[in-house]
Amino acid sequence: MKEIGAEDSSQHTVLGPQHLDAVVRVSQFVKRYKKHVAVDGVDLEIRKGEIYGLIGPDGSGKSSLMKAIAGVLTYDGGSVEVFGTRVDSERAAERIKPKIGFLPQGLGLNLYPELSIEENIDFFAHLRLVPDKDLAERKTKLLAMTRLERFRDRPMKNLSGGMKQKLGLICTLIHEPELAILDEPTTGVDPVSRRDFWSILAELLEETGMTALISTAYMDEAERFHRLAFLSCGKVLASGMPAEMRALVPGSIVTCEAHPQLTAIARLKARFRQVESLGSFLRVFIDTADESAARSQIDAALGDLTPSSFRVEEPGLEDVFVALLLRKTEHKGVSEVITDSAVVHDRDGLAIEAEGLIRDFGAFRAVDHVSFRVKQGEVFGLLGANGAGKTTVIKMLNGILLPTEGSGLVAGANMRTAAGSIKERIGYMSQAFSLYLDLTVEENIRLFAGIYGLDKHSMSKRFQWIVTMAGLSGYESSLTHSLPMGVRQRLALGCALVHSPRVLFLDEPTSGVDPIGRRHFWEILTRLAREGGVAILITTHYMSEAEHCDNLALMYAGRIVAEGSPEDMKCQVEEVAGRLFEVVVDQPRRALVHLQQTGFHGAALFGTKLHLFCRDPLRDKASACQALEGSGVRVTSVNERPLSLEDVFVYRVMALERTETSATEGAAA
Amino acid sequence: MNVRRITAVATKEWKETVRDRLFLLMSFLLPVVWMVVFGYGLVLDVEHVPFAVLDRDQSSLSRDYVYRFIESRYFDYQGSVSDERDIDRLLGDTAIRMAIVVPERFEEQLLEGRPVTIQTLLDGTFPLHADTLKGYVIAVNRAFTQERITEFLTRTRGLVPEEARRLAEPVSLETRYLYNQEVRSTWSMVPALIMFALMVASPLLTALGVVREKETGSIYNIYSATVSKAEFLIGKLVPYFTISTINVVVLWVIAVWLFGVPFKGSFTAFFLASLLFILCSTGIGLVISLLVRTQMAALIITIIIAMVPTILFSGLLVPVSSLSPGAQVQAHLFPAMYYTDVVRGSFLKGLDLKAMWTDLLALAVFAVALRLVAYSLFTKRPKA
Repeated sequence: MKEIGAEDSSQHTVLGPQHLDAVVRVSQFVKRYKKHVAVDGVDLEIRKGEIYGLIGPDGSGKSSLMKAIAGVLTYDGGSVEVFGTRVDSERAAERIKPKIGFLPQGLGLNLYPELSIEENIDFFAHLRLVPDKDLAERKTKLLAMTRLERFRDRPMKNLSGGMKQKLGLICTLIHEPELAILDEPTTGVDPVSRRDFWSILAELLEETGMTALISTAYMDEAERFHRLAFLSCGKVLASGMPAEMRALVPGSIVTCEAHPQLTAIARLKARFRQVESLGSFLRVFIDTADESAARSQIDAALGDLTPSSFRVEEPGLEDVFVALLLRKTEHKGVSEVITDSAVVHDRDGLAIEAEGLIRDFGAFRAVDHVSFRVKQGEVFGLLGANGAGKTTVIKMLNGILLPTEGSGLVAGANMRTAAGSIKERIGYMSQAFSLYLDLTVEENIRLFAGIYGLDKHSMSKRFQWIVTMAGLSGYESSLTHSLPMGVRQRLALGCALVHSPRVLFLDEPTSGVDPIGRRHFWEILTRLAREGGVAILITTHYMSEAEHCDNLALMYAGRIVAEGSPEDMKCQVEEVAGRLFEVVVDQPRRALVHLQQTGFHGAALFGTKLHLFCRDPLRDKASACQALEGSGVRVTSVNERPLSLEDVFVYRVMALERTETSATEGAAA
Repeated sequence: MNVRRITAVATKEWKETVRDRLFLLMSFLLPVVWMVVFGYGLVLDVEHVPFAVLDRDQSSLSRDYVYRFIESRYFDYQGSVSDERDIDRLLGDTAIRMAIVVPERFEEQLLEGRPVTIQTLLDGTFPLHADTLKGYVIAVNRAFTQERITEFLTRTRGLVPEEARRLAEPVSLETRYLYNQEVRSTWSMVPALIMFALMVASPLLTALGVVREKETGSIYNIYSATVSKAEFLIGKLVPYFTISTINVVVLWVIAVWLFGVPFKGSFTAFFLASLLFILCSTGIGLVISLLVRTQMAALIITIIIAMVPTILFSGLLVPVSSLSPGAQVQAHLFPAMYYTDVVRGSFLKGLDLKAMWTDLLALAVFAVALRLVAYSLFTKRPKA
């Protein structure tokens, strides 16, 4: 093993001089689990009153670091200092615990399912010896803030994901700790609840002057933090304020269309390392911030293909992280021979046709009138939070679960009557990657080929194809459990494709995979669809991934609340709600209150920035600025931002909730 | 040590346990079910042994001999056979467990005053059973022989039957069974089953209760809070201790009322020993829970650790004194044996506190030792 962290210290120079008001100081932190090094020489410093973020894929060491800071995990090297106390023994750890609130990973898992909301809160409060008077006061306030007041007596097991998350937050903060450590509080929660969560948290932190250390697997949440560290394989790849991180990798993102798309991709990939296809668009990271230079570089790379709908944007933090990761690792491109020996499916037919699917579990309607169509060669995304009904839809289409009502055709077979033939024509890959971890890559592929009854000749042909397609060469005889998550995921995909299915179902295939692995995976999926004509239905709760799909359906509480191509969906929302602007001010919370009072109800806090919708850009922008300046808030900049799919989802669900409330109120009147 | 925090943990634990239907059933139904099922099922008395007869003599004397077996409540006559091969077949199918073969000229030879041999074939699959069975056969046979002698004496010497009987059996044996006059295995079994039910149910409950928190991650609430190790361990055990205490009373009532086992000793001594024993059994559960990560592992290890020694070395089925020396050492290393002594002593022997204080002391030592082990194993800042 090399010298711990010696090489790393130069990487995060953005960390300023030591602050006197540092709440947490971690230096050269090392954590091992037996032989496996989970965290390897991490330094970080968290200042009083800030929201500090830890971002990274599964297994990057976030949880180990947070647990060690919370004093609930030992570590093997370096030092951890919290509130000036060196946390190096159980006794020392006990000293800092009164000031800390810790929320472990796993949505609602640390709560007690049989206990009601109020009983859960009371338990945490009593454990912390919160006086009864304070408890009653805080409980009333926090329940009101999280809108859980009505559900006080509901057992925790009957709460939705978003409610569990908010209850978890209340329980962690009931003793008003000075430092809140929250481990992936937003994983698996729908975007609306996520936004809600962030605004509640921001408000509480502002009010109490609390410091927060929060981890997330969602790259797009990076903007929410004052400062953050990006972790990869137990090391800090970069840290600092979001703007500082961006400055590390200057560049721009170019989106354009060019035909034929596959040729364009091939040409661009020859020159640029970050090339993605988003539906009919191409997205390229170019390491120059100058727009015209970027354009000429693209033109040069494309040669005789002319790009259309050309757009240049500032790169997102995810692009920055990928660029940083790429600097460290040698990225293996997808092989070019993907169609070789692959079955090319007819491009015209309908692959999936769902008509009015309903599924009830007792009194609970898990899926409510879901209809959509997927053509061969199309990537169709089913988006939604945990419990929105995505998996139930997939199970019905696969013929595993009978619908209560409705009908569907999958790969030409009726899902009600021909479940057997459906299974022969589709491939299915689940979140859990149904691989045998004690078998090698080759043995896994051969096993699946055997299960689908491939003969010897076609098996070896198919095996070669899978290895090339999924970029598994070199791994053939490795044991599956020793593979990195990204490779394991591609192997699972290979196994799902062993019988050349016409339709591929992917149920949250990218959970816990690092951004590069995710991009590689999407490259393969796109090619399967474009070149092989395979229809792909994929579910995900990463809104940023949804951009890769040709068409989308957003699910919320069992219903489809919006559908169409990503572009269409954004246009639809822009037409109704207006353009999205990002406002940078010196006092964000105060600004938010003022904006909401002035009538900008859609205004939301994003870290230190504000987002608001303007129906009439010029007039609204001016009136917003005026309102802010009038109240003594200094506006640094106001810029238009392209809508993200998350904005679309939040807007749709909020609109739905509004109509529901007015409907019930109307009925009551 | 803060009572409010202990109460918080205990209350939460209690609510979770009684609201979770599976846990509730496990807490209160399981011990009772074991008690009833094993109390009726684990009867070790050898009675109604099925047997067949091959009577080659077919005389009145041979019929008289066989009739004594048929009449006995220990045997269950299945019929006569005429061929030795039938006996093999019946024994092989376990249709019968014993066969009696009366030789030819049985009556003739007896009347001539010559000794005869009756052949009995016993199923030796279960040695304990076979031994008991052999005892019964010998007893029946001896009674018949004595009657023959008595009859011979009356006939030849002209004695009155009373006198002849005395002559035939000069040394008679008077056996009195103490503590369990009717030698009913239920009486010895049921009190020990109280031990068994407590020994398996309460560690299981405790272990699952703690590991459940480890599995979900809610144990981090404890790790990260200011509650001390001792406060948590006490709070966590209070509900399981309470449940087991209720079970002791319920099981006692079942033993006395349902099975009619006499309780001759001091209830105070019995109850005190029970409380100490519950502290031991929950302590075992606690120690197991601190060593494993999943509920499945907790379940399997608890069953192995709690059940196997309890069945083999506690005196439940075999008295400790008749175990091999090695097994006896093992028996002494396990709290179940001491409690079995106390339970049987209180029910059947009517012993009081004074007579059993060593057992109680042993239980107390185990209870304390297990607590200390649990305390030292539990850390709020684990390695992984």
